[in-house]
Amino acid sequence: MSSGWKNSGLMKSSKSKLWFLLAPALVFLILPLYGMFAAVRSSINGNQGLTFTYYVQLFQSERFLSSIAFSVRTSLVATVIAIIIGLIITRLFHTYLDKTTPRLSVWLPMLFPHFVWGYLVILLLAETGLIAQIFLVVGWIDGTGQFPVLTRDPYGLGIIITYVWKEIPFVILMLLPIYSSIPTSYYDLVKTLGGRSWEQFRTVEWPHIQPVLIETFLILFSFTLTAYEVPALLGTTFPEMISVLSYQWFYGGILEERPLAFASMVFVSIVILTLTLAGYFYMNRRRMRAMRGRL
Amino acid sequence: MKRFYFLLFVSIFLLIGCGNTNEQSSNSFDEITSQPWSEIEEAADGTTVRLYMWGGDEGINQYLDEWAIPHLKEKYNITLERVPMDTVKILQKLQTEKKANKQDGTIDIIWINGENFKNAKKNNLLAGSFTDKLPNFNKYYQTDDPALTTDFGTPVEGMEAPWGKVQFVFHYDESKIDEPPASFAQLQEWIKSHPGKFTYPNATDFTGNAFLRHVLYAKADQPSDIYNEPLDEEAISGTANKMWGYLNNIEPDLWRSGEHYPNSLTELDKLYSQGEVWMTMGYNEARAESLIEQGVFPETTKSFVMEPGSIGNTHFLSIPFNSPNVKGALTTINYLLSPEAQLAKYKPNYWGENTPISLEKLSEEMRKKFKAVDRGDSVISQQKLEESFLPESEAAYVEWMEEQWFNEVVQE
Repeated sequence: MSSGWKNSGLMKSSKSKLWFLLAPALVFLILPLYGMFAAVRSSINGNQGLTFTYYVQLFQSERFLSSIAFSVRTSLVATVIAIIIGLIITRLFHTYLDKTTPRLSVWLPMLFPHFVWGYLVILLLAETGLIAQIFLVVGWIDGTGQFPVLTRDPYGLGIIITYVWKEIPFVILMLLPIYSSIPTSYYDLVKTLGGRSWEQFRTVEWPHIQPVLIETFLILFSFTLTAYEVPALLGTTFPEMISVLSYQWFYGGILEERPLAFASMVFVSIVILTLTLAGYFYMNRRRMRAMRGRL
Repeated sequence: MKRFYFLLFVSIFLLIGCGNTNEQSSNSFDEITSQPWSEIEEAADGTTVRLYMWGGDEGINQYLDEWAIPHLKEKYNITLERVPMDTVKILQKLQTEKKANKQDGTIDIIWINGENFKNAKKNNLLAGSFTDKLPNFNKYYQTDDPALTTDFGTPVEGMEAPWGKVQFVFHYDESKIDEPPASFAQLQEWIKSHPGKFTYPNATDFTGNAFLRHVLYAKADQPSDIYNEPLDEEAISGTANKMWGYLNNIEPDLWRSGEHYPNSLTELDKLYSQGEVWMTMGYNEARAESLIEQGVFPETTKSFVMEPGSIGNTHFLSIPFNSPNVKGALTTINYLLSPEAQLAKYKPNYWGENTPISLEKLSEEMRKKFKAVDRGDSVISQQKLEESFLPESEAAYVEWMEEQWFNEVVQE
C-alpha cells in the first residue's frame, strides 16, 4: 500500500517534470503550429463552410502539376548529387579533415547565405558572366550567345548547381563524425579476410552511415523543395518551383488565388511529412531487427 | 505545477489584454479632417510621418531623401521616414492588421494606384476621403479632371491625392537602331529581322503588364473599345485572340527564344545596359535621364512611342485606416502636392517625372519656372506625349492579363 503511494507520487512528479521540460518547446511551437493551422483552415474555407474545391482546382491546374514535377525533379537531382559528392569527399579525405584547418576550408561555403551563393552562380555562369567572358577572351566561343544557358534555364540547371555547391559541406558535416568514429580495427578485419575497398564500404561503412544518409537526404530534399530565394533568382518563367508559384498566387493581387497558395503549401507539407514518417519507420524497423539480431 | 498554471494564466491574460485596445472610434478620421487646416498643421509640428512606398528606383529615392525630407523638416519640423516596400506587401500588412483589429498601425502614407487602390478601397484599408481638405490640391489642381478623379477606372472619391503623372515610353540605343518602329506591326518586323534583341518583362511585373495592354489596345478596332469598357472577356475575345496571336508570333525571335522572360523591369534594364537586348521600356517618359547620368544606360539612349499611342496614368498618395499620425500625413501630402515640391520632382536631376498640377493655375513666376525646365535629350517633346496619350483601362484588365498571359503565351 505504502509502496503504491510512493509509486504514484513518483509518477506524478515525473509527469509534471515532463511538462516543465516541454514547456519551452511548446512556447516556440505556438507560432509555427498556429501558422500551419491557419494555412490548413484557409485552404479548406469556402464561402459556405468546408470545401475542397481549392484542392480540386489545384490538381486540375496544369501550371501546378508541372511545377510539382519540376520541383521534385530538381530537388531530387540536387540532393542526390550533393550526397554522392559529399560522401566521396568524406571517404577520401576524412583523415585529413580531422585537422582543423582543412575542415574549416570545407565548411567555408556554409558561411554564405543561399541567396549570396545564388548570386555568385549568376555572376560566374550567366551568358554575360565571368566564365563566359573568359571563354570569349581565350577564343573558345565567338559570342556570348554560344555560351550554354546555365542560369534562368528551363531545366533548373542553375538551381541544381547552386544547391549542390552549397550542400556538399553540409553532407560532409553530417558524415564526418560517423567516419571518425568507425574503429580502424573493423577495416583491418575486412582486410585480413581479403576484402577490398568495396567490401570495406559495404560491410563496415554502409551500416554506420545509412541512417545519417537518410536523415541528410530528408533534410536537404525538404529544404530544396520549399526554398524560395534561389529559385526566384535563378529560375525561369516556366516551369517554376512550387514556392515561387505559391508566392505568386499569394501576392499576385488576385485575391481569389490566395487559397490556392495555401492549398499548395499544405500539400507540399503533407508530402514532406509522409516522407519523414516513412524514413522514421524504416529506420525503426531496422533498429528493432538489429536488436533481435536479424540484421 | 502551480507555477506552471500561474504562468499559463498570466500569458492568457496578456494575450487577451493585447486584443483589447480597439475602443478607438472609427469616425475619428472624419473628426480630424473637419478641423481647420491651421490646427492640423500645428498639430503635425514635431511629429514623425512614415511613408511606405516602392523603393526600386534610385532617382525617386534620391528625390525623397535629398529634397523632400530636408524641406519638410525645415518647413514643418516633420520627420519623414521613407520605408521601401512593395505596394502589394504594404496592403498585405494592412490586411493582416485589419484582421487583427489593430487600430494603431505603423504606416501613415502609402504610394498607390491602379489595382492596388481598387483592392485597398474594396477591403476598407484606407482611412477615407480627405483631398478636399488639402489647400494645395484645391488651389493648384483641376479637381474635376477625370485623370485625377478616376484611377484605372476606379472612382477616387477623395481617398487619394494625385502625386504624379507618367506616360509609357520605349527606349532604344541610337547608335544601334537608326529608325525605331512606329507601330506594333513595324515592331514585329523589327523583331523578326533582329532575333534575340527584344523582350518584355513577365506579365506579373507592372511594366510587362503595361506592354501587354499596349498590344491589346493596338489589336482593338479603337483603343477606346478597351479603355472605355469594363472587362468583358467574351466581348473582347476576338481582340484578345489577335493579341495572343501577335505575342506567340514574336516569341521565337525574342531574347532566348522567349523561353525566359525577365522577372522585372530591373532585369530587362540590365540586359539593355549590357547590350544583350536593344530596347527597354517603362512608365515615366523621363526615366532614362537619371540612368544615363549614372552610366547605367548608354548616352545614346533615346525614347519613342508607337501607334496607337502610349498609356499614361496618375499615381497617388493615400492614408491607411490605422495611420497613427493622420495630421502629419495630411500636412506631408499637402506639401508634396505644392508647386515647389512638384517643380523639384519635375527637374531631371532626381526623378524627372511629369506633374498633375495645372500650369494655368500657377503664378506667372512659377509657370515660367516649370516651362524653363529642360527635361533632357532622351525625353520626347511634351506635344508628342500629349498627342499620343491614352488613358488606362479598368484595373480588372491587369489581373486578367496576368492570368491569361501565362496560359496563352508561356505554356503554349
